[in-house]
Amino acid sequence: MPIANERVRVTVNGVAYERSVEPRLLLSDFLRHELGLTGTHVGCEHGVCGMCTILLDGRTARSCLAFAVQADGCQIRTVEGLGTVDSLHAIQEAFWEKHGLQCGYCTPAMLMAAVELIEANPSPSRDEIREAVGGILCRCTGYQTIVEAVELAAKRTQEVTK
Amino acid sequence: MTEAPNRIPRSRQQEAPRAAYRWIGRSMKRVEDPRLLTGHGTYVDDIDLPGMVHAAVLRSPHAHARIRAIDTSRAKALPGVIMAMTGADAADKAGPLPCFANPPVKQMCIAVDRVRHVGEPVAAVVAESRYVAEDALELIDVTWEPLPVMVDPEQAARATGDGVLHPERGDTNIAFRRSFDFGPVNEDFAQPDHVIRRKLRWARSGAQPMETVGAVAEYNQGTGKFTIRANTSMYNYVGWLVAASLGVPAHRANIVPTLAGGSFGSKIFTHRVMVIAATLARACGRPVKYIEDRIDNITACDAHGCDRVYDVELAIKDGLMTGLKCRVVDDYGAYFQFGVGHHGNALSQITGPYRLRSVRLDLTAVLTNKCQQGAYRGFGSDVGNFVLERMVDAAAAELNEDQIQFRQRNFIQPNQFPYLIPTGNMYDSGNYPAVLDKALDLLDYAGWRKRQEEARQSGKYIGIGIATCQERSVFSATEFWMLNKEPGFALTSSPESVSLKMDPTGKVYVALQAPFWGNSPETVATQILAEQLQIDPQDVIVTYSDSDHGLNGTGPGGSRFTVMLAGAVVGAAHQLKHKLIRVASHMLETDASDLELRDGKIGVRGVPGMEKTFAEVALHAHYFRLSMPDDPSLTSGLDAAHVYDHPATTLPTADRKDLGIFYPIMGHMCHLPVVEVDIETGKVKFLAYVAVHDCGTLVNPMTLAGHVRGGVAQGIGTALYERYHYDPEGQLLTASFTDYLIPTLHELPEEIIVGHIETPSPFTEYGIKGGGEGGRMGAPPAVASAVEDALRPLGVRIDALPLTPKQLRSLIRQAQERPSAAAE
Amino acid sequence: MKPPPFEYLRPVDLEGVLAALAQDSEATKILAGGQSLIPMMNLRMVAPKRLVDVNCVPGLNRIEVDHDQLVIGALARHTDVLASPIVRQHAPLLIAAYQHVAHRPIRNRGTIGGNLMHADPASELPAVVLALDAEMVLQSRTGERRVPAGGFFLGVFETAARADELLTEVRIPLASASRRWGFEEMSQRQGDFALVAVAATFDVDSGRCANTHLGYAGAADHALRIAAAEAALNGEIADETALEKAAAAAAEAVDPPADVHADAAYRKDLVRALTRRALSAASHR
Repeated sequence: MPIANERVRVTVNGVAYERSVEPRLLLSDFLRHELGLTGTHVGCEHGVCGMCTILLDGRTARSCLAFAVQADGCQIRTVEGLGTVDSLHAIQEAFWEKHGLQCGYCTPAMLMAAVELIEANPSPSRDEIREAVGGILCRCTGYQTIVEAVELAAKRTQEVTK
Repeated sequence: MTEAPNRIPRSRQQEAPRAAYRWIGRSMKRVEDPRLLTGHGTYVDDIDLPGMVHAAVLRSPHAHARIRAIDTSRAKALPGVIMAMTGADAADKAGPLPCFANPPVKQMCIAVDRVRHVGEPVAAVVAESRYVAEDALELIDVTWEPLPVMVDPEQAARATGDGVLHPERGDTNIAFRRSFDFGPVNEDFAQPDHVIRRKLRWARSGAQPMETVGAVAEYNQGTGKFTIRANTSMYNYVGWLVAASLGVPAHRANIVPTLAGGSFGSKIFTHRVMVIAATLARACGRPVKYIEDRIDNITACDAHGCDRVYDVELAIKDGLMTGLKCRVVDDYGAYFQFGVGHHGNALSQITGPYRLRSVRLDLTAVLTNKCQQGAYRGFGSDVGNFVLERMVDAAAAELNEDQIQFRQRNFIQPNQFPYLIPTGNMYDSGNYPAVLDKALDLLDYAGWRKRQEEARQSGKYIGIGIATCQERSVFSATEFWMLNKEPGFALTSSPESVSLKMDPTGKVYVALQAPFWGNSPETVATQILAEQLQIDPQDVIVTYSDSDHGLNGTGPGGSRFTVMLAGAVVGAAHQLKHKLIRVASHMLETDASDLELRDGKIGVRGVPGMEKTFAEVALHAHYFRLSMPDDPSLTSGLDAAHVYDHPATTLPTADRKDLGIFYPIMGHMCHLPVVEVDIETGKVKFLAYVAVHDCGTLVNPMTLAGHVRGGVAQGIGTALYERYHYDPEGQLLTASFTDYLIPTLHELPEEIIVGHIETPSPFTEYGIKGGGEGGRMGAPPAVASAVEDALRPLGVRIDALPLTPKQLRSLIRQAQERPSAAAE
Repeated sequence: MKPPPFEYLRPVDLEGVLAALAQDSEATKILAGGQSLIPMMNLRMVAPKRLVDVNCVPGLNRIEVDHDQLVIGALARHTDVLASPIVRQHAPLLIAAYQHVAHRPIRNRGTIGGNLMHADPASELPAVVLALDAEMVLQSRTGERRVPAGGFFLGVFETAARADELLTEVRIPLASASRRWGFEEMSQRQGDFALVAVAATFDVDSGRCANTHLGYAGAADHALRIAAAEAALNGEIADETALEKAAAAAAEAVDPPADVHADAAYRKDLVRALTRRALSAASHR
């Protein structure tokens, strides 16, 4: 017996979408393949690596551990909503300067976690930064320059808002 | 070692290292980053083609079993399924996968007749979505006949009959067995002052990049040609082997690289995934996407790391290390794609930075029911470093000597280069005392020894570790066959190419023959090109050639890429410069020898203002050849290509007592970690970490430091957290990220202080040496050394990795229960 | 790894949830935060035919004091429990344990009720609710049932809840200001499930320990208290000797499971060391 599709209405990076999807469609697949927003990556699909981290109603969430139908009525932010190549977000600029990325696969996730932190806590301590991004694996950098990048971005964001 | 200066090839270095550069040596922001930062990098799973369908693979639940029957009828009947394919179906069209061992071990993309490790593909399904494909896998019925499972390599080495994985190769699981002597081994062990003996164990871990392996393949019925988009490398080196597996001539398979989300060696040649995707595409007539999920990747990536047990003896005479004997059993898993190349690799630096005179290697490679080994950052020399440094620490301890002084006394000295080691390989340059001194200084070694003493007084266990290791770079590929009796190939340095083009507006295009893995090929190419042409990096664009359009390119791996890329860029840039100057000389009516390149222009030396921009010259060169004097050697256009070989490689002798020069561009490192061990829980915490590396001339210090830190992180993973753990039934107990433990930032040193020393190579352009693997090649021995130092009061010896908390706690408990446990 | 297909229901109130559970309860799973359920579905370790999404049911996520109890709704997200000043005041042990629970994105979605109902023997929160003498409030079509934490965790992923019951609240008795608490955990990585974790509470009565509660994760196939260790401490002054005696009793009493990360001997070592440390931390409060 086929399972009925469910309607999902979701706003992603300020744009409203409406789709009809299988209940089991993971939010990560919905974003990447239904909406074509491939900036959010997939690494494990069992909630450990954190590649799929996005902001769901303002809070970081692993999009591989949510069904798209659960995001009905929600606001989602992904890396595509942060900045463009010609106009980078402060956090993207900081990662670039501090060499906070090598292969780039964890980068969108790290950026979203950093955004959640800095928007809630404009002058985070080093430990708070480590806690905020500590749930996302990186296999390339050893993490140090990622933390430095978030520190720099926080500092700059503070200076701008003064 | 024999002094044989005529044995060392002549250097062909064209660009000598110098005191000051404009672009080389700058920590320039990476060219690659903007698209990665904005989520617009295209990785293989981002590709979406019209009509594309999705594949999933049925993984074997058995470690060793015959496939008596496979019934895919229920799977095929599921709505949304396009086709199902067994190994037998696949073998109809696709032949064995590439294997560099001689004789080869046959591996099919989907198992036929028998499975040889848990996770090995047994069947594949293609469906409208990956979800449906996985539903269909559950509907495939396989009838199995279990066979004896070989997990312990010693047991596997003794097996016959049904316990043999590849009976067509002979009634044994021993894939290779040979002993090699280099230098006066018997003499050194005849009457030594001391012999240090250890049994050492290096368990298997692996690269596990955040992105798995994948391919999107199409087959064009009209042209009979495959197009395979994949996160693979080596498509401009041995890409034609994939065509061979697919049963088509080389020009009927074009491999197109995508960005790779990390590789660390594991994506060096992703043959199985490409052949599966392509075979399915041909069979079903639609583009097929096959992306490994994480379980697929952990269990069947064909890229597990080394898995060895060593019995080692080290001879000491007059306080100096003389001879080294290693008996090693290497558990290769179910296939043998690189033969014993990992051991050839290790022989390039088996004596480390020390003046050891002789080496015996007694090597047994065994096949077992596990995923096969592949390439993982270090490729066998990571283990070699661990083994040697453990022996050096053991020697210092038994001789009651300071670890640092013992090393310093045994170092090859700065005035002894180029240096030939007993195996025949050459170390091109180095200054090991300087690297060590810098590391000790950066750490404040004396300060930490003091803190350690205080800690011991208050019942805490702090340890300072040391590892002084080599990082060979730029392989020539003889390591893959030189341990065999018969040569597999003639001599190669595994060339690398670049093609350049300047367009009529003065922009320069650089085409690379190898992929992006998270290294910085675009940035390196840009910096070196900018140095050569004195051009603004903004005016340089880097692209990646597929195999249809590519020139020779071996790609990243073996810490070779920056060196080889530099050689290729220099060679091509010289040609381009030459032509630019020729055209400019006509335009400026000046002698070519009076012209120089400066700031994106070509002008008369010493005469500012008398110059033309690149754009002006380029326009002229492209369109207005006929307004310049007739000369057949000057054609229209501005392009150049160069295939770079570094010539510093020689053949092994027939008796294999001298392996020749095969990995001579020799980097070096000193790692000094400081750890605290909680002896009740076995947890290891990092208090400090210093890593000083000598990679010759640095192109971009920031990106090199990134490799060092990332490599250290992986080395710490190998030392403390990561293991592919197979149980006696060959079941992989660490088959997901829940159990295969990759360190988060909390497990790593908060800061890894990176220092640099530069001893340029006399052989490479600008004196650059490779540095991509080094971090991981120094961390495991350094961490083992630190933990052993921390537990010295208890008399705990560290002989095996990984040092999981359970493992450490067990060692501590045993030490505490020993009646002779050393008191504090 | 994609999950198998399921029928999806999203009731708008508690009654709707209970009605759904009452019908075909064996084939139904509750979807709250999904942080435990969805990975298992993606790995195809479980394949429920029907998921009942409770995230839209109002009133299940409150955090407040009700007379002599701290009430935490089952649907309260870990992040919100962790940030609550009420919880900080009345159940600081819970806050301490939360430093070891997963990572922020998981805590943002995961719920306290989901974690307790999942009953992973290595999870920190069941050990904590045991040490806090909490009460689990279960609702079904047939009414409400309250089960003390001590009788709730029965085995691996097994609780005393019936298939047709929904956990709606966790009720924690308000402790006296003098009640001591301590939490210690050993995991291989920050945020991983515990190899062993200990949640300790006790009163000090005329200088001596009383009413000691020791809750353990990772020491058995379910979260449990160790009566022998509690008895060893009750009536004693909390000095080094007494703590060591209680710790030894705890290690002696357990028969821990073995897996690739820890064998029984190692877990016993951890029970001993962490019991002592948790009690020591508690006594210094």
